[in-house]
Amino acid sequence: MSSVELGRRVRRHGSRTLIYVVLGVLTVVMLYPFYYMAFNGFRSLDQYYAGSGFSLTSWRGLFQALPVGQELLNSTVITLSAIGLILAVSTTAGYAFAVLRYRFSRLVFLVIIAAMMVPIQSIIAPEFVNLAKVGFINHRYGAILVYAALGAPFATFLMSVYFRRIPEDVIEAALIDGLGYGKIFFRILLPLAVPAMFAIGVLQFIQIWDDLLVGLLFLQTPDVRPITVGLATIPSQHLLDVPLLMAGSLISALPAVIVYLVFQRSLISGLTMGMSK
Amino acid sequence: MIENNAMLVLAIPIAILIPLSVAFLINAEIRGWRFFRSVFFLPTAVSWVVIGFISVRFFADDGILQHLLNGVGLGSIHPNMLSHERTALIAVMITFIWSMFGTNLIIFLAGMATIDGEIYDAAKVDGAGSWTVMMKITVPLLKRFIQFSAIITLITAFTALFSLIFVMTGGGPGYGTTTLEFFIYEQGFSTGDFGLASTAGVLLFVAVGIVSLIQVRLLRAED
Repeated sequence: MSSVELGRRVRRHGSRTLIYVVLGVLTVVMLYPFYYMAFNGFRSLDQYYAGSGFSLTSWRGLFQALPVGQELLNSTVITLSAIGLILAVSTTAGYAFAVLRYRFSRLVFLVIIAAMMVPIQSIIAPEFVNLAKVGFINHRYGAILVYAALGAPFATFLMSVYFRRIPEDVIEAALIDGLGYGKIFFRILLPLAVPAMFAIGVLQFIQIWDDLLVGLLFLQTPDVRPITVGLATIPSQHLLDVPLLMAGSLISALPAVIVYLVFQRSLISGLTMGMSK
Repeated sequence: MIENNAMLVLAIPIAILIPLSVAFLINAEIRGWRFFRSVFFLPTAVSWVVIGFISVRFFADDGILQHLLNGVGLGSIHPNMLSHERTALIAVMITFIWSMFGTNLIIFLAGMATIDGEIYDAAKVDGAGSWTVMMKITVPLLKRFIQFSAIITLITAFTALFSLIFVMTGGGPGYGTTTLEFFIYEQGFSTGDFGLASTAGVLLFVAVGIVSLIQVRLLRAED
């Protein structure tokens, strides 16, 4: 080995080590908050101040301070129902925009894309007034509809991008074989769209489960409140009880984190799919 | 209030440059990059409420930051960031940059995956150093992705920080962290002035629209 080559190798080795050091530091920065939450959630207030020992005291306190079970159930019902609605709307609408072109379909599609750009805060006040008029406040179905309406435009966009990738020959062949557009959708396109549906489902699960604003405004009574809202509006006497807050944070974060870890691939492919257009 | 939004804009270049540089590192065919990607992207799965609670513990007067300062012998400095208007906003911005890191990283990694490897080999044959390759080849080819991430980051800063601010500072101290979107909530749902809240809502929509347009134009003009 010549000395030049040796030098190069050492240098490359050195820079690789440096990269790992940088990535290691970043890993600590990114993970420390979660470590902090997980550890302190299992301490009593005294143990928290002492910085050692573990107990379930704070969990007992948490269940007394908040109806945790009911709130987790509310979160689950709201999130899954909204995802169901979003998938039903986005697959059918995406199919219509991608395969069945009709008059003004481009225009309607553009309007839907434009709807993606409107921030929720811009429409939240009139939205609230409207839902209050029809008596949908403090009912889970009210929030479900709002979440579905917020999620559907982007999901429709993703689905139409996805359906457009399917070669037209496939659909033409099916038409020649005598399948109707309905059957083509259910028998051919929908099975092909399962990965995209997964991506949308995971994306929306995290978004809806983690959302505060809609739940805070549209679900004000404790019996319909999701866990994120319950935690954010925890009675102020608990705000200094760090272990209790961390226990609550942990249980409210866990479902979305598990979904993220299990379906990470779907999530990332969903995000990049939306980007490539 | 508008001033606070303007401050948030200042966080955007940082929220882009850090993940962009890390994307260069990871792209250098590092073993275990999938692990790092999962770790860095994790905050995306966690709600702003939870991030906010932890962040309060970090920036509080007796919090983690203070412990760190004490640990390195700078205990005489008491930033107590959440109790002053300006520093409270900076604390919100730091939390925001922290949680945007993974999202922007994913965008840049996806962008780098679209670049043909042959172009790097060609550059190497021509004797280009890694810095030159980065500035002359990778960054220009990533432009579309940088533009996309700038817009996403801006929209997040203007329209997704409500929950974080709600938990971290409640818009205070004073109006120190009351951004436009928080103002809408306060006016509409604490004060009960739906008219003013709706007007502010239109303003927010216009602001997001204009800044996005400017960014797209600026990046186009460079072509």
